Amino acid sequence: MAYSLSLPLCFEPVHTVDLGTVGADAELVMQLQQGSEIAFRTLVERYQQRVYSTAFSLLRSAEEAEDVAQEVFVEVYQTVDRFRNETTLSTWLYRLATSRALQHRRRAAAKKRFAYFTSLLGLRNQVLHEPPDHVHPLALLEGSQQLQLLLSHIGRLPSQQQVAFTLRHEQELSYEEIAAVLDTTVSAVESLLFRARHTLRQHLKGSFRHV
Amino acid sequence: MSNSGSKPDADQEWEALLQQLRKQHRAQPRPFFYARVQARLTAQQPPRGWWLPDWARRPAYVALLGMLILAVSGDGAALRPAMATNQPASSSPH
Repeated sequence: MAYSLSLPLCFEPVHTVDLGTVGADAELVMQLQQGSEIAFRTLVERYQQRVYSTAFSLLRSAEEAEDVAQEVFVEVYQTVDRFRNETTLSTWLYRLATSRALQHRRRAAAKKRFAYFTSLLGLRNQVLHEPPDHVHPLALLEGSQQLQLLLSHIGRLPSQQQVAFTLRHEQELSYEEIAAVLDTTVSAVESLLFRARHTLRQHLKGSFRHV
Repeated sequence: MSNSGSKPDADQEWEALLQQLRKQHRAQPRPFFYARVQARLTAQQPPRGWWLPDWARRPAYVALLGMLILAVSGDGAALRPAMATNQPASSSPH
């Protein structure tokens, strides 16, 4: 099974634009545009971890992240002819991953609202189960529980702030790379991150020992 | 009451929390991810007749379109035989 061993997996955080990687990606795109299946396999194996973990960071569900990651690669395969190297391949993939994940979340939220509405009208005889929250507020003081609290508040940030924060602090992208993914300026990214951090620190203030 | 040394401590705690966020186990797809992407691509391959718009693949729409073309084709040739049988015999020139 040559599946996961034949190609180097890029798990290293991307801090700067590596010209070698960009050149290799440009070559990969060219081969993809010529319909090379090997190039597609290389692309998937090189980027699957980054695409999946980005989707997972925004959705916090393995099943939904898998669905989004598959959707991203299928879209790449189907639309690579239109890719014009105006952005890097990784920027394009992060852009697809974040936009599809947010789209997925909006659809899921709409479905949930509709299900709640129909349950109020008694159109369905099903009971809606909210995920149980057994965490006592006093237990949220230390270690991983504080991290869980942070993750839950990240999930409630406005979409753009959430994407910027996730790409910065989980995917460890540079401000320039985040700006390219969000198709905005570096100063706009700084502003998004400032607001996200401020909101999160406000929410977590109570859980810090030193306020 | 907070003292002057408390703010850096809060900053340190915040930084430690961000470190923890970075160091947490990175989510990874299950094995054979590429095979699943391939399967999805195959499932999404357009069937034969993909060049037709969706509506054109439904028989009812095709029949309706055919009737419309007949109706607006101009000379009413399709309706003529029926009209001819309804004509009274006296109208024919003798």
